[in-house]
Order: sequence, then structure tokens, then C-alpha cells
Amino acid sequence: MLIVDDIHAGYGSSEVLQGTSLEVQQGKVVALIGANGAGKTTTMRAISGMLTPTHGRVLLNGKPVQGYATSRIARLGLAHSPEGRKVFGPLSVEDNLLLGAFNHLPMFFGFRSMAATELEKVYELFPRLRERREQSAGTLSGGEQQMLAIGRALMAKPKVILLDEPSMGLAPVIVQEVFRIIRRLKEAGTTLLLVEQFAKSALEVADYAYVMEHGRIAVAGTPAELHKDERVLAAYLG
Amino acid sequence: MLKRLLFIRGAELLALAILATIPLTVDNSYALGLLTLLAIYGILLIGLDVTVGYLGQINLAHAAFLGLGAYAAGLSVSLLGFGMLAALAVSMIIGLILGGLLAFPALRLEGPQFALATLSFSALSVIVLNEWESLTQGAQGLSIDRPHFLGMSLDAQGFYWLCLLMLILVWIAMRNLLSSQWGRAFEALRDSPIATDAMGVGTYRHKVAGFAFGSSLGGLAGGLYAFNFQYLQPQGFTYDLMVILLLGVVLGGRKSLWGAFFGATLIVLLPNLLSNWMLFEIISALGFAAALAAAIVGWKKNSKVTFQAAAPVIAMGILVVGGFMVENTESWRKAIFALMLFAVVVGLPDGIMGFAARYLTRLFNIDPPALPKASALDAVLPLQFPNEKPLLILKNLKRYFGGVKAVDDLSMSVLSGQIHGLIGPNGSGKSTAVNVISGLYAPTSGDILLQGKSLPQGSLFKVARTGVARTFQNLQLFAELSALENVMLALKGVYRTPLPLVLLGFARAEEKRAQANALALLELVGLQDQARVHAKDLTYGSQRFLEIARALARKPKLLILDEPAAGLAHPDVNHLVQIINRVNQRGMTIILIEHHMDVVSSLCHRVTVLDGGHKIAEGTAEEIKRDPLVIKAYLGIADDSPASAATA
Amino acid sequence: MVVSGALMGLVYALIAYGFQLTFATSKSINFGQGELVMLSAFFSLSLLDWGVPYWLMVPGGLLFGVALGLVVERACVRLSLEQKNEGWILLSIIFGLLGFSVAENIWGRDDRPFPTPISTEPMQFFGVRITPLEISVAIGVLAVMGLIELFKRKTLLGKAFEAVSADRDAAELMGISATHTIMLSYGLSGMVAAMAGILISPITTVGPTMASALILKAFAVAVVAGLDSGFGVVLVGIFLGALESLTSFYLGSGWREAPGLILLILALAVRPNGVFGKASIRKV
Repeated sequence: MLIVDDIHAGYGSSEVLQGTSLEVQQGKVVALIGANGAGKTTTMRAISGMLTPTHGRVLLNGKPVQGYATSRIARLGLAHSPEGRKVFGPLSVEDNLLLGAFNHLPMFFGFRSMAATELEKVYELFPRLRERREQSAGTLSGGEQQMLAIGRALMAKPKVILLDEPSMGLAPVIVQEVFRIIRRLKEAGTTLLLVEQFAKSALEVADYAYVMEHGRIAVAGTPAELHKDERVLAAYLG
Repeated sequence: MLKRLLFIRGAELLALAILATIPLTVDNSYALGLLTLLAIYGILLIGLDVTVGYLGQINLAHAAFLGLGAYAAGLSVSLLGFGMLAALAVSMIIGLILGGLLAFPALRLEGPQFALATLSFSALSVIVLNEWESLTQGAQGLSIDRPHFLGMSLDAQGFYWLCLLMLILVWIAMRNLLSSQWGRAFEALRDSPIATDAMGVGTYRHKVAGFAFGSSLGGLAGGLYAFNFQYLQPQGFTYDLMVILLLGVVLGGRKSLWGAFFGATLIVLLPNLLSNWMLFEIISALGFAAALAAAIVGWKKNSKVTFQAAAPVIAMGILVVGGFMVENTESWRKAIFALMLFAVVVGLPDGIMGFAARYLTRLFNIDPPALPKASALDAVLPLQFPNEKPLLILKNLKRYFGGVKAVDDLSMSVLSGQIHGLIGPNGSGKSTAVNVISGLYAPTSGDILLQGKSLPQGSLFKVARTGVARTFQNLQLFAELSALENVMLALKGVYRTPLPLVLLGFARAEEKRAQANALALLELVGLQDQARVHAKDLTYGSQRFLEIARALARKPKLLILDEPAAGLAHPDVNHLVQIINRVNQRGMTIILIEHHMDVVSSLCHRVTVLDGGHKIAEGTAEEIKRDPLVIKAYLGIADDSPASAATA
Repeated sequence: MVVSGALMGLVYALIAYGFQLTFATSKSINFGQGELVMLSAFFSLSLLDWGVPYWLMVPGGLLFGVALGLVVERACVRLSLEQKNEGWILLSIIFGLLGFSVAENIWGRDDRPFPTPISTEPMQFFGVRITPLEISVAIGVLAVMGLIELFKRKTLLGKAFEAVSADRDAAELMGISATHTIMLSYGLSGMVAAMAGILISPITTVGPTMASALILKAFAVAVVAGLDSGFGVVLVGIFLGALESLTSFYLGSGWREAPGLILLILALAVRPNGVFGKASIRKV
């Protein structure tokens, strides 16, 4: 569903990604782990077009999308829940969710009724969001904002979801909650690329995983294979 | 060295010789008038370039300073009977004071708001000049007699030489300013205002001083302008003139004395060129051809027609075609300016001089002057003698962003002489905590004490001045400065020469000392061989080390390192550990945010662990590793027990 | 007199509102907005001269304003936003200069009257003399602003507009094109400018110099109220309009523009984000 082929990208003169390649198959959850500064978030940004790769290809559903505007890649079926969540602070929770479905809805009127079923699904997954639907997103707690960011990505009915550090800045209980939700998404057959600092938890939900070091994929394999790798074990699962 | 003298100073001297001797060889009062105007506009544009070029702000008040300076000089002659020099001094001082007064509020703003503030100021000035009739004669205009200069009465030729002399003085003063700490500060505050403040070099005060200085040059040019034309009207200093001045600076090339000079030449000659239809057509055809050639070259290179390449072609094309359609180019003067300026701003953003400089430096490849020997490290980074007492104390520190509690009730103390690790999962509040300590954010509540005294809150600059230095997780180097200059900028206690003496060129010895001191710090982090390399061209690892050297230049009491090892390869991490150890052995207290547990264990005397903005553990690295709460936080999930208190 | 000043102030508020629209999406404003007002007014006048009926002229003039707004976006703003520099300030000033010169040469330098079907006979309201024309200005301003606000709050496109101003990157991730949204904001801003031109011209006459007089006041209103403050501009506009007519009455008409400018500089000194504006957070 998503293929990243030898991409190079960076900020200004420093090249962060130096030939990253990975693949996410339909219906699979793939984890991307590695130390801070290894280039995980940069990989995500290069896939969704927030950063234009200087070299290499990104294939979404078989079509090359590298160099496209972010919004165009999003319209082709990629939903990226970015690092730091980036909810629309001044807008209400429900407006945030509706905007998630921007591509499927009519521009002017009647969009609310069109989105009703999707909205209902998201509210079922995150009951707290239903309680706070009128509240502006900026006043939510960190955990609630993360739920909103995931919910907003789901509203797009995407082919692939990129989740960047969904556990960031959350208390342990909430982190558990987030992973429970990821597991439920997996059961529902969602195609997911997950960047996570909690390598152990990420490997528990993932079908396949890549380990990044200095802008390249260092090791790849199923979680079981990675658990046998001494080096990975020492560096990330210790 | 000789080559340098020959090409740079040689060009200046040659231009000067030509300008000074023209009146002796050519006896033409019209040409003399143009030359005088050229010298005046040269001063004016050098002043404007300080804000538009070096400070990077669109300044729309410079025409007003020309006018205010002109009226000040004129009135001090006609009302107070001043001589020429005294009158020129008055016009400079008026520019300086009014410039300062405008800069104080206006330069707290960025971009459009600043442009708006200066625009209002200039509109207000014209209103005052128009309406204060008892003083300025209003719209009727003010006639002035040219006063004596040191007892001599100057004829047109003499006055021209005076203007030229002023231009030379201004040129030299600017050169001295730019090759001092001031020049570096101007460059730095455009690259990274945050780092400029964090290095204790006040962004704001440098901007205000720079603006006031530029305005005083505007005032000086105004004084000369008044004595040149001997008749002033408020309408002469409106928005229209301002646009033409901007045209000059941008067309000539920003951030360049020569650019300002070329710009002045163009402004002076342009009205003459436009009045002749044939000449106008030739110029616009040349411009069109140049733009087209550039567009074709660009198109061949990346096979895409960009707006940047196409727009100048279109603009110049309109000029060529339009020239045939209208009878009188004079009445379309503004439209012609607009189209030319448009083509230049879009197609040649660095101006003519910026464009030429790229080729000239390649052609001559001039070596920079040699560096002095490095100072002794003890002089640059004195040994400190820790006393085991707390250096930094945080009391119930809180920082909220909307509903997100990034740091929640954090209390901790850092003992002097120790390396204190601050660790925790991503987003646990480590970076926010150091951002609050270093003054980037004001705390929502709580106290920060350094050696028992409250730190200023919410001001990077003030905190930096009390002895806290930091590095940044996302590098904040001054990309356009060399490694050496990055460190020189931050040096504490070296630059003592006051601005007027800097302008007169008395800061050279101090510069040498600064270079020597900065070299010592570069040696400490192993970058002495890359001293002249631009920060943006250093490898990623070297950039990280340079940030540490730069922070050390502050001679801090407390050094904060925000994830210095992020993204480093293994050999670099080892080098980093060595550097930190060496610095700590000199008695430096360090707060280290780090993710690599091995780095933390090998360096830190004490470690504080944050999670969700709270402190969850504190102790030695070994104690921390065994703490069940820490293990749970780091692994994210322990058991799948029901979420008992699922509120964040 | 104070009341008609205040009503004039509503027009400044309308132009300032146009600044807010583009500032919200792109953090940029058109320094040639005054010329947009003037050019649209001249174009509408020409429509009337060609025999177009008044009520058809209004949408025609507004469309012309939209077109000019889009040109400004394409020619002056987009490139410098892509390069993340502030070249748009200079480019939009240049565009204004071009517009001024074009108007001067096509329509002449003199002020011309702008006909209107609405009566200018003063009426008495609670002891205040006011003309139906002035009332129509107030209604027009509030109607346009109200309609745009309604659009922003009630339609999905309007919400997308708000999303872009809240967080451009995140909006792009939702499939909302920031470029198109910025174009939309410039189009709307051009329409608002044209509306201001059509409303104010019957009172002030049309001429090339109306641009610079209007824009300074609109800047003052926008900055004093805050470039992101929504309806704050209405209050500040009314206040400034009233203040102006008092100044010109007591100090002479030459000083008419001074209070706005002084207010602007003072506001920047005391509250850089405007009286109704919000402070922003620096990011590393």
C-alpha cells in the first residue's frame, strides 16, 4: 500500500535521511523505532509531503507521490497524525473532526449530516470526545488532544494512517489507552505506520518493524525476529 | 594580503579618485549637480540599507528622516544662524533622536507591523511639516541660504567636495561598524533572533541602535540636501520618494556599501533616462533580453518555468510594448518604476551588487587575513571552584499550554559543579522545563533561583546576562556566520569600545583578542581547523559541538545542554562525552537533557526523571535504573490493569 | 457630525477587515489595498458611464475587486511565502504604485463625483442629522462583514479557512490546500475592498489620491484593533472616524489624518498585538 524507496531528505544543508526504504502492506501495522534524532519523524514528513525528498520515490497505492503538495497526498488517501498532535486549537472538537473528513464532504452545506455516521464511529471509539464536542480543542488535556488527532485522521477514511509518537507527553495510563486503541484499529484492518519511542509496546502491536539509525534503516524484521537480535535488544528493548 | 588590499581597497580608491577629479576636468554645472546628488543619495541609501539590508526590515520612514533632517538644518541656519557644520550636526542629531524614539516601540514588532509603524511615522511627519506653518512655512516652502563652512563660502564645486567628503566618512564609519561585533550582531539577529538573545546579545537593543544610526545618516543626507537645493517643500519627502529609495537599495543590492552606491547612481540617472524615449526603449529591451536569457538558462537547468523566472520577462515585456503604445513616458513614470522594481525584486533579489559579488569573489578568490594565536583556555573559560551547595533551585515550577500541562509542579535543585541529568520519555516536559529556566517561556507559576537569587522570567536575554548559557535541541546556529564568528558573537566581557569609537575604527585590537579567545574555545571542542567555515556548511556533529563552544563563550555559571547527542553517530557521541567531561572538570555546573542512557550513566552525578510534566524519581544513575516507576515510564506499559484514574 | 464621522469609520473598518482576512491565512497583508479600493471604484464608475444600471454595477465592481485580489496574491504574495521571506511587503507596495499610475493615466488625476440612487437629504434622528446615504454605508459594511463571518462559521470551507489560520501544516494534512485558501482570502479581501470603494465614493468622490488617504486609516484601525481580532475593527473604526471629524473641526482639516497615525504608533508601543489581539508564543 505504501512503499518508500531510497529517499533522501533534510532541512537546509543537513541531510537527515540518507536513503531510507520501507514498505507497509495493506492491513498491516508497521512500527518504526529508533533513537531520538535518527530520522523517524523526518521520514513521516517526507512521506506526507511536509518535506520534499531530494531523491527517491514514495509510492502510495502504486502511484508515485513524492514532490506533491501535502494536501494532494492527503486527498490520495494518506492521513498523517503529526508529532505534537497539531489539533486546531481555536476550533471546536467536532469542527476538528469534520475537517478531518474535508475531502469527502460538500464544501458549503449539508456536510454535517453527510459526516454523521463517521462521526458516530469516532465518538464510539473515543467517548470523551463526544462529551467535549463543543469545547475548543486547545483546552483539551494532552491525552484528549491525542485522541482527537487520531480521530481526525480516521475521519478521512484513509488508505494508510501515519501515527507519529502518539504516546508523546502522556501519562502512563493514557499511553496504555492509546495502545489499546491502536490494537482496536489493527483488528479493524487499518493500515498503519507507527513511530513510537516505547519500542517494546510498539513491537507488541506491530506485524513488522524497522529500526532507524542515522537516517537509514539499520535492521528490519518481524517483532519476533527483532527480539532475537542482540543489538536491538540492548539498544531499544533493555 | 597584498591581493586583498589591491582589489578591495583599490576599487574604493579608484572610484574615489574618479569622483573627486571629474569636476576639475568637466566644466558642466548640470553634471556637477548630478554628482552632488549622487553623494547625498549615497549617504541616504547607506543609512537605509542598515534597516532594509542588515536588520532585514522594510523601513518606510527613511524619506521622512531626509525631510526632517533637511528642515532641521534649514531652520537652524535661518532661525539660529548656525554655520554649515553645526547645522549638519543638528540634522544628524534630529535623525538620531527621532529614529530612536520611533524605533523603541516599532522594533518590538516584526515584518508588516514594523513597516506599518514606519509608514505612519512618515505620513505624520509630512503632515506636521505641512501644517506647522509658523515654523516651516507649510506648503509654500522654505528658502534657505547656504551658510558658511568654517568661515568659507562654498561654491557649487566646493559644496560637491564637502558632500563627497561626508560620503567617504560615512563609508569608513560603516565599514568599521560592520567589521565589529555590531556587524556580527546584525547578521546573527536575522539568522536566529532566539539564539542572539540567548547569547546575551540583545536583539532588540541592537535593532534600535542600528535603526537610530541609519536614521541619523538619513538626517545628515537631509542637511546636505537642504543646502544643495536651498528650497524645501514637505511634498518632496512623501511616500513616492520612499518607494524610489527602496528601488535604489534593492536594485543596487542589499547589505553592501557598493550596492547602496550603485543604487544611488541609478536613482540619480533614472529620471534622465526616462525622459528620452529612445533611451528608455533601449534600456527596457536590454532588461527584457537579460530576463529572457536568465529564464531560458533556468528552464534548461530544471525544465520547469518558475514564476520567479517568468515574471521578470513579463514585466519587462510590458515595458517594451507599453513604450510603443503611450506617447509620453514621463507621465507613466511611476508605472515604469513599479515594473522595473517588480522585475528586480522577483528575478534578482540580491540586487546587481549581490549578483556581481557572487562572480567577483569566485574570480579573485581572496584569502581572509590570518588568525591570531589562540588565547590560553584559563583566560577564556576560568576555573570555577564548586562549593557543593545548590546552584539552581526550582520551586513548584508550572508551565501550561492551554489544557496541556507540559511542566506540572516541578521542584529540584542542581548542586554546583555537578552534571545533573534530566531524562524522561519524549514530551515529558524536559525541554519545556529548560525553556522556562532559560527564559524562552515565562512560567505559569513557580520560582527559579540561581545562587539564591530569583532569575528573571520570560526573557532569554536577561537570563543569559545572569550567567545561564544553553544549547538548542534543534540547532540554532548563525548559519551565515563562520564557526569562529559564531563563538565571537557570544564572548562575554570582551567588547567594551563604545559605538562612536567603533565607528572611528578603535575596535580593531579588541577584535583580535576576541578572535584569539574564540579560537581557544574552538580548540576545546576540536573545531580549530574549521574556524573559517560557515556554520551551515559544517557537518551535523560539528554543528552540535559548535553550539557548545558558543555557549561556553558566555563564561556561564550554569550550562544547559538540550539533547546534545541527538542524531550523532557513535564516534561523535564519544567525542561529545569527552568535551562535556573536560568542561565539567573546569568546575562548570551542567544540566544535561539526554536520551542515551549510556551517556547519562557515564556523565551524570545526579539524575532527575520526568514523566507527564511531573518529577517521578531522582538519584544517581544506578538508583534511577532500578526505580520501578522509571522502568514503567520508559517501557510505557507494565501490566494491563484497569485504568483506575484515566484523567490526564 | 461626529455620527457621520463614525459612519465613515465603518468603511475604514471594512478595509481593515480585508487585512484581517489575508493575515489570518498567510500572515501577510496587501500594502496596495488602498489602490484596490480606488481602482475598483473607478472601474465601477466606468461601468455606470457605459450605461450599466446601478444594481448590476455593484456585483460587477465586486468581481473586479476579487480579480485584483487574486492578481495580488499570485504576483506579489505567493512567491515570497514559498521562500518564507517578507518580499511581499515590497511587492505589494510596488503593485500599489503600478495601480496608482494606471489609474492616473486612464481615469485622470482629478476627483470625480460618483452618482448614487440613494438620497443625500439629511434627516433628523433623535436630534442627529444623518443622510440615508450614510445609513446605507453602515448597512453595507455590516452586511458584508456579517456574510463573510457567517461563511466562516457555518460552511465547511469557512471552517477550513479557520483551520489554515490556526495551523497551516495540519490543515494541509487534512487535504486542505493552503495555497487555495490563501487565494480565497485574497479574493475575499479584494471583494471587501471593492465594496468599500463603492460605498464610500458617493460621499468622498473618486480620485487617485483616495487610495493613500484611506489605506493609512485602515492600517491604523487594523493595527489598533489587532490583526487577528475579528469584530474589534468595527469598534476601533467607529472610534477613529469620530475622532477624526472632531480633530478636523477643532484643528483644521490638514490635521485630519494625524489622530489615526498617532493612535497607530501608540497602540504599537503599548499593545503590539492590538487592543483586541492575542499574544503569540515564540517557538524554538
